[in-house]
Amino acid sequence: MFNPLDKILVNPIRLMITSVLVKVESCDFNFLKQLTQTTQGNLSVQLKKLKESGYISIDKSFEKNYPKTNCKITKAGIKAFEDHFENLKKYQNLNLK
Amino acid sequence: MKDQIQLINDAINKTKENLKESSFNFIFWGLLIAILSFFHYSFPEIVQKHVYSTMLYWVLIPVLGMITTILYNVKKQKKVGYETYISRALKIIWGVFNISWIVLIFVSLEKKINPTESILFLLGVMILITGLLIRFKPFSFGGVSVVTCSILCVYTPNNSWLLLNGIAAILGLLVPGIALYYRKSNV
Repeated sequence: MFNPLDKILVNPIRLMITSVLVKVESCDFNFLKQLTQTTQGNLSVQLKKLKESGYISIDKSFEKNYPKTNCKITKAGIKAFEDHFENLKKYQNLNLK
Repeated sequence: MKDQIQLINDAINKTKENLKESSFNFIFWGLLIAILSFFHYSFPEIVQKHVYSTMLYWVLIPVLGMITTILYNVKKQKKVGYETYISRALKIIWGVFNISWIVLIFVSLEKKINPTESILFLLGVMILITGLLIRFKPFSFGGVSVVTCSILCVYTPNNSWLLLNGIAAILGLLVPGIALYYRKSNV
């Protein structure tokens, strides 16, 4: 029985962000930008989509007059990531047969 | 599918637990407490010159040390850009210790008793928890050594508790800190 892959997590940038956030407690915007090697605008769009899906929470603050964005994964995000990963493994096993 | 799994693997591998940089805290405190203890033991006439000089010596210098380590850790956190579950747990453990240590000093001053045994016992427990959490035996052994020193302190006459305090700092903080710095693999 194969479930369709999560449309939100199929996007490589969003998948990378979620993968990192599953492992860490919190992560800032600059680290995610460095990790995903994408533009500031694109990263903002992907973070917004993840937030709208309820997969992550975003905390915005100011530090020495500079905006600071901190991201955390939600319970729904962890569940979605785990399901997505299980489905990926099932599809991979199918391809190997 | 394979690409997606590879992507997850690559992303997760970029957030390694970097405990090597945390070793600074343990080396710093190990050295500071050992130096303070041995100096006090060798020159009690300087440290105990006035009624409040001992208190200032044992409170003011460690508080300055606390400020130094807090600033170092905040700077380190900003540089790394993420916080792992272990680093958050360690931050909470040592934050609680910092508050408890000040409370113990206050209570001991009110009751006019030596706070060394209680502080060492608490420190030993915190080091032991750290060792078990990061799965690093030198810290677990260090924690047990510090707890042992706290018990020995009860039976130590005069100013000899200062020697035990210095030894506990070396065994519980300095040696595990150096071992952590030279540790090859991270958690």
